Amino acid sequence: MRITQGQFSFLPDLTDDEIRRQCAYAIDQGWAVAVEFTDDPHPRNTYWEMWGIPMFDLKDAAGVLLEVNACRKSHPDKYVKVVAFDSRKGFESIRMCFIVNRPKDEPGFDLARTELRGRNVGYAIRPYAAVRPAGQRYG
Amino acid sequence: MAEASPLRIETPAPDRVDLARLYGDSDIEKTLEEIDRELVGLEPVKTRIREVAALLLVERARRLIGLDTDPPSLHMSFTGNPGTGKTTVARRMAQILHRLGYVRRDHVVSVTRDDLVGQYIGHTAPKTKDVLKKAMGGVLFIDEAYYLYRPENERDYGQEAIEILLQVMEDHRDDLVVILAGYRDRMDTFFRSNPGMASRVAHHLDFPDYTADELCRIAELMADAMHYRFDAEACAALRDYVVRRMAQPRFANARSIRNALDRARLRQANRLFAARAAAPVDRHALQSISADDIRASRVFRQ
Amino acid sequence: MNKPMGRRITDLTQRFKSGVLPYRQMGYWDPDYAPKDSDILAVFRITPQDGVDPEEAAAAVAGESSTATWTVVWTDRLTDYPHYQAKAYRLDPVPGTPGQYFAYIAYDLDLFEEGSIANLTASIIGNVFGFKPLKALRLEDMRVPPHYLKTFQGPATGIVVERERLNCFGRPLLGATMKPKLGLSGRNYGRVVYEALKGGLDFTKDDENINSQPFMYWRDRFLYCMEGVNKAVAQTGEIKGHYLNVTAATMEDMYERAEFARDLGSVIIMIDLVIGYTAIQSMAKWARRNSLILHLHRAGHSTYTRQKSHGISFRVIAKWMRMAGVDHIHAGTVVGKLEGDPNVIRGIYDTCRETHVRQNLEHGIFFDQPWASLNKLMPVASGGIHAGQMHQLVSYLGEDVVLQFGGGTIGHPMGIEAGAAANRVALEAIIKARNEGQDIWHDGPQILANAAKTCTPLRAALDTWKDVTFDYASTDSVDFVPTATAAG
Repeated sequence: MRITQGQFSFLPDLTDDEIRRQCAYAIDQGWAVAVEFTDDPHPRNTYWEMWGIPMFDLKDAAGVLLEVNACRKSHPDKYVKVVAFDSRKGFESIRMCFIVNRPKDEPGFDLARTELRGRNVGYAIRPYAAVRPAGQRYG
Repeated sequence: MAEASPLRIETPAPDRVDLARLYGDSDIEKTLEEIDRELVGLEPVKTRIREVAALLLVERARRLIGLDTDPPSLHMSFTGNPGTGKTTVARRMAQILHRLGYVRRDHVVSVTRDDLVGQYIGHTAPKTKDVLKKAMGGVLFIDEAYYLYRPENERDYGQEAIEILLQVMEDHRDDLVVILAGYRDRMDTFFRSNPGMASRVAHHLDFPDYTADELCRIAELMADAMHYRFDAEACAALRDYVVRRMAQPRFANARSIRNALDRARLRQANRLFAARAAAPVDRHALQSISADDIRASRVFRQ
Repeated sequence: MNKPMGRRITDLTQRFKSGVLPYRQMGYWDPDYAPKDSDILAVFRITPQDGVDPEEAAAAVAGESSTATWTVVWTDRLTDYPHYQAKAYRLDPVPGTPGQYFAYIAYDLDLFEEGSIANLTASIIGNVFGFKPLKALRLEDMRVPPHYLKTFQGPATGIVVERERLNCFGRPLLGATMKPKLGLSGRNYGRVVYEALKGGLDFTKDDENINSQPFMYWRDRFLYCMEGVNKAVAQTGEIKGHYLNVTAATMEDMYERAEFARDLGSVIIMIDLVIGYTAIQSMAKWARRNSLILHLHRAGHSTYTRQKSHGISFRVIAKWMRMAGVDHIHAGTVVGKLEGDPNVIRGIYDTCRETHVRQNLEHGIFFDQPWASLNKLMPVASGGIHAGQMHQLVSYLGEDVVLQFGGGTIGHPMGIEAGAAANRVALEAIIKARNEGQDIWHDGPQILANAAKTCTPLRAALDTWKDVTFDYASTDSVDFVPTATAAG
């Protein structure tokens, strides 16, 4: 399957140049760009690992590409995403988020149902890969 | 919001290029004139800048016409004594490169060894990379670059910074231009000991010391900007001062002139204040720096 | 032609003598009054009956929406009367519409109960709209001072936190209302939810009149919908939701349904405007306490918001709803099947989303309105829109909006999942192009066609609906255009 988190997951994977253009848009807006990675793609896993702190004060996206490629080289079999932070009042949150790297095989999620009272069902979603310990999940 | 794409050819290649039009469109004439105006003297430097500009312009024309070449190496070294205008020219060079489309933006990040090299193991690489990322898209100006190389100290991390710089200077020529600066002889030694660095620097500009006349002119320009005036006697005193000061150690060209001017202002102020009971001061008195204000300098007593 | 009917009477014996006095003599018309920062201000579009003096009409509106009655009463003198009177302080003719005026009225903060939309509305619109001397009356805009705003909760979740909960940034959210509106059984309903969410939408939605009917009782609907939602989450790895409509006959029933939705793990519930302002505020409070997103369907609003001369402008309703505390509100699409002039819609969207809305007569915004850090309200665009309009939607409506394609998803020739995918691909392609600096307004159709090359469902959507537009003259529009000299 293909996890469709992020802004552009329904489009063909972005080329380096396309990634650079998106980062350039973020930098032009004055946002800080960061790179994060994980091998736990559960939708409620909010905190992916940080590849360095967000890059404040950058004027050009080439610097971001350096880090993206360094992260992808270090963790070729993990999910890697680019995140842009806006510190302005009224937002003070993330403004962009898109995946730039995926494991070769994405087995997806197991959906476990627990039957409760009154025909209620409790749902537990677990990534198949999470059966293995962190660091050994993909590739 | 699309940024200028420096070397992308989208239309079919023309079979002739109007260099005059290209020159006009690039608007670098304005920058070159600014250099002429802002910098006193430095004729050899100004000539060299125009030569480099012409080279870059013709390179651009060659690419437009389809003579596909590797991106030219633009890294430079500026050698000369302090206060000879190296930082000023670096900023103007960034503008020229930007207007000709060789760098995406015209910012200059100015650093010395301490900004690049760490104090402990593992500290250098992220430090250098941070600086490089901030400079990307523009120009990185490294002052007194030779301090990166300290072979006598085996625990020195400067070599690591040099390695990273070399790699970026080679692989990211589209993204970054590096200008190294410092004293002539020390830069020569640095390049001899680091042939990798030497091979990546294509343009060497030497910044000669100013002549005494040029320094007087600089002093006059600086004074004028601050609304001060030298009368005829003061001008003569000024020239005497400059000649003597140049011969003394630690002379930093324009910077030393600036300091001298500040000291002269201090003396003028004290002179006027001491005589405050005599008469009110007029505009002329407040603007004038006298010969005495200059000759009071220590330089004349040595 | 009527003679001016005199200024305010200051001699108290004269002022409070039994009998009938014109409102303007009772102090309700006061052109010298400078509104205080703590006053609540309103601007009404008044159409006096023929022969009625416009200043008297404005004063009458001020009077009848505050302290007055049709005759003088002695008990007025037991109070600090001038303090409680609303003051009509300004009257402008409406450009290009003889016989219509904008009347600006100021109300003191003490007239209102803290944190109560019911009280605010009962005061301002409770009495005056049927008033005989007026042919027509419309509440156009209000300025609510921070002194009063801060007594309200504001949106329970708000745009920023909603995005953080959904982990969805940098693009509009996508939704779809279930079709057919009525008749599906719970099990079949859940099927549509599953297909649409699996295909790529973020939300699916109960329609406003889906509450609990013989063809589908609410508990069954909730159970089947959550089955569809959770299956879709497992298939995609994204957080998804279905707006479970908890509208019911009584508050007790509503709380029961909302609690069940919460216990099932839904991220969002939905209410209809017709439950009333008090119920809406209760549900907003509940939503914040239980960390659910609260969607409001504006059911019934067009009965009083649509005509330009009489009623309440929707921008005022939106303002009240942001104060009351809903997180989503239907606010217009511009290019879809329902009423919406672009300038009016822009003013409404700004009222929902901005932290400080600037006065802009060309967008129908009469007052500067700072929002005192009340959360931002997510506007929802729903009604007759399809993937082929994606570039127009993003251009008009921006990024912080929920785009709902009910028919545009469920009516797709290749099925619901394909319909959802077509919408999602269209949206991502337009956003990507916009970020790269392309001109999506002009090149949108080409960008969509290019994206359709690698997405057959999008190709089919573009082909099926390429000729669909809804071009009718708007019944509501702004009065101020850039070339006219706006009076302040």
